[in-house]
Amino acid sequence: MKSGRIHRRTAVAGALAAGLAFPVLAQQGPIKIGMSMPLTGGLAAGGKSALIGIEVWRDDINAKGGLLGRKVELIVYDDKSSASETPAIYSKLLDVDKVDLLFAPYATVPTAPIMPMVKQRDLLLMGNFSFQVNRTVKHDKWFNNAPWGPADSWARGFIDLGMKAGAKTIALIGADQEFAQNLMKIAKDVATEKGIKIVYEQSYPPSTVEFSAMVRAIRAARADMVFVCSYPPDSVGLLRAINEIGIGDSVKLFGGGMVGLQFSSVMESMGSLLNGVVNYNSYLPEKSMQFSGTTDFFAKYQKRAGEAKVDPLGYYLAPFGYAMGQMVEQAVNATKSLDHKKLADFLRSNEMMTIVGPIVFGPDGERKESATLMAQFRGVTDKNIEQFRNPGKQIILFPEKWKTGELVQPFEKARK
Amino acid sequence: MMMRGLGRGLGFWIGAAVFIALAFAMALTIRNEYAFFAGFVVLQFIVLATAWNILGGYAGYVNFGTSAFFGVGVYTAVFLLKAVAAPLWIQIGVAALVGAALGLGVGLLTLRLRGIFFSIATVAITIIAETLITNWKFVGGATGVQLLRPPVTSPFDSYNKMLFVLAAVMVVIAVALARHVQNSGIGRGLRAIRDDEIAAECSGVPTLNLKLVACALSGALMCAAGAPSAMYLQFADPVSAFNLNYSVSALAMSLIGGTSHWIGPVLGAILLATTQQLLTVTISSEINVLVLGVMLVLFVVVAPEGIIGLARKVWRLVRRGAP
Repeated sequence: MKSGRIHRRTAVAGALAAGLAFPVLAQQGPIKIGMSMPLTGGLAAGGKSALIGIEVWRDDINAKGGLLGRKVELIVYDDKSSASETPAIYSKLLDVDKVDLLFAPYATVPTAPIMPMVKQRDLLLMGNFSFQVNRTVKHDKWFNNAPWGPADSWARGFIDLGMKAGAKTIALIGADQEFAQNLMKIAKDVATEKGIKIVYEQSYPPSTVEFSAMVRAIRAARADMVFVCSYPPDSVGLLRAINEIGIGDSVKLFGGGMVGLQFSSVMESMGSLLNGVVNYNSYLPEKSMQFSGTTDFFAKYQKRAGEAKVDPLGYYLAPFGYAMGQMVEQAVNATKSLDHKKLADFLRSNEMMTIVGPIVFGPDGERKESATLMAQFRGVTDKNIEQFRNPGKQIILFPEKWKTGELVQPFEKARK
Repeated sequence: MMMRGLGRGLGFWIGAAVFIALAFAMALTIRNEYAFFAGFVVLQFIVLATAWNILGGYAGYVNFGTSAFFGVGVYTAVFLLKAVAAPLWIQIGVAALVGAALGLGVGLLTLRLRGIFFSIATVAITIIAETLITNWKFVGGATGVQLLRPPVTSPFDSYNKMLFVLAAVMVVIAVALARHVQNSGIGRGLRAIRDDEIAAECSGVPTLNLKLVACALSGALMCAAGAPSAMYLQFADPVSAFNLNYSVSALAMSLIGGTSHWIGPVLGAILLATTQQLLTVTISSEINVLVLGVMLVLFVVVAPEGIIGLARKVWRLVRRGAP
């Protein structure tokens, strides 16, 4: 009888233990991080590169034993570079896949529609190279991995460089598209604030292929600096037109916001035509930008990118995908939690070390201080992608803390 | 015969009422939001494909301008929301009126063209509309505009569920209109135009007037389908709103389903839009685009008259084989 009672107690204790153990076991499943990514469509080249960066982080963290003792699993869906796909995908991630954390897709347009959703559900969202996407929604759990910082810092860096070189006038040209128009307006405001005279201002349709008339007009306006807000095809078209016609001796600084000159394929095809251009960038393999883990990351990235036929250099986006993971890793380890509020509080109030340098966020979830680089192409030769893996081909002029050289001007001299 | 027709009509309306009641019941009982996100897209494509079929299917005028009308619908809603904070039903109603007027205008300009020339003209309309919106700063211009939803009204507990039920009502309206056109004198006239426009004209069919009616109806439904998209995405930008994908999908859905009957675009849209949604969250890579392409080619080769044509063939074979 006694022994029977003991057996019953053991059985009850066992059942209780098993009951308690089940949720513990259930919790030991992987930590799921959900995202959409442009894997097809216009943004696919960038999306694939960014995703490899995130995957390298996942493999590194899993090799170290995961987060909170659990493996990290990525759930990724293709948003086809379209804004209309992402709301349903993020709803699937949250309501069906039950992900623990969310990463945003690469770029502004696919991210914009999910901002109201994450705000309504009060969720943490790690941004992935969007531009001012939280401006309207004002979500307090949004943290963008991009180096942009305050909206005006991009143009400010360029104009400050020009002013130091003695520039007093500026020409503004930009594509009639979302990002380019935004940037052009900001550049106009900064120039006006600094007392720089705008001598030429022109928007052009995104399908423009012939830029010689515009280059002649800039030449005639005798601007000291030319701020360009262009997309890859127009960036190429403009530089080819300048190569044929010349921009004039007055121009000390040319470039600023030319999208495309960061992509391996464009860099390789343009070659020496890039020389002298001062343009924005996010990360460059200069000595001042070697942080803990950077070399190791690029070794892994470039191996995978070669196999997957994705951007072989990967400086522009991929390390920021990895950094996004590193920031989450630090927040989860410090708070010992997956609670979005606790993680957001940590991200908002701490400096995080990443392979793209230390990151501190401002109240809007963008970088507190801009880390957008302004770099000048120097000594670039034709048809050689390997040259860009070495320092010295893109000299960092801004910000001061990562500066690796002085501006060569005027632009016509720097081109040679 | 008349009783049979009445019976069919009654059957249609009972089916429509059951469909709306089902959508409503789903909204009140299912808690998973994803079903409504994905369901809304499928229903929206049914409206678009049905609208396309009125001109493209019945009259045989292949229209690539669906994205233009859809985009104008999106931006009519954005404009009304920003200008006067209009409620959703007003946005849809006004979008339908704008769509009808635009359809009429576009029809007057383009319907004297035929075949490939008409199709090219409709592509141009998308480009013109997108360029206009890109340069209109009030509605966000090229940058696009983020929109915040107003609070949801009872009995729904989420805005998506409300949009889903609304889309279900729009499907019924669109299909009922298409069915009416098909069974009325307008449909017979349009079919005559499709078979031989000159012969129809000689026989006294008022071809231009009929085409204008079809174009206005089709445009009104396409714009109305676009209007709730602004609130669904809570974001509008010209590239997404005027995406050529809407034109291609609406056309493909009608062709896959079959253009001769109103049920064709409905079946095509359900099949294609559901497959698209499923592929996005299952295969999710370049392969999902490939699967859709292969599906289109297969249907064009194996079943050029769509699912309806295939079903008719099978039915004939079964009847012939029956003792």
